[in-house]
Amino acid sequence: MNYTVINRDVHVGDIHVIAVTSSAIFLIGDADVINIASAFDTPPESLIIGPFVPLIQRGEQ
Amino acid sequence: MKRTSMVEYFHGETFIISSVLQIGDSREITSRSRVLAVQRQYELFFGSEGEGIFPTFTMPIPKLQANRNRISVQTLHQSPIISVRSIRVLAASTSAVVHIGSTSTVNAEARIKHIRQLAPNFSASSMKNTQTPTPIVKDEK
Repeated sequence: MNYTVINRDVHVGDIHVIAVTSSAIFLIGDADVINIASAFDTPPESLIIGPFVPLIQRGEQ
Repeated sequence: MKRTSMVEYFHGETFIISSVLQIGDSREITSRSRVLAVQRQYELFFGSEGEGIFPTFTMPIPKLQANRNRISVQTLHQSPIISVRSIRVLAASTSAVVHIGSTSTVNAEARIKHIRQLAPNFSASSMKNTQTPTPIVKDEK
């Protein structure tokens, strides 16, 4: 497959960003490869209604 | 060849928790963040708990492997600059990167787990009461 990109004039005015977070990237420039992944977990099991016991510690599984 | 980035005015308010403001080119960016957020109905924390046991933090995330050999990419920079008048960033946090300039490879990963823990006697009827039940504090040791 042949893929040609022509970058003409780029003039941007004002950028206003509230927040960049959790391994996100805000890039003014060129890049060859961008590989970003995110795992966000809030399943129903994450809502624990019960006595306040510590979460399982390492090696106690 | 990469283009030159020109920014006339930059304002960054807050950069916290391993976030980076990079001015200038870079070759490789690898950023990682792991967040375990535990919210309890009462102010209670037992110390080192729940570290390294959740699959969210251990499972491998499959990567998209584009076969770059099969694609011939040709880039023509008719204009060698990217210009921006002004940038205002209120906050960057948790391994985020604000980058003015070009790079080659970006590899980033975020793993976040939220847990909410409520008291057992905290039912819908008790929610109406403004008075919160007394916290059940277990012996720590």
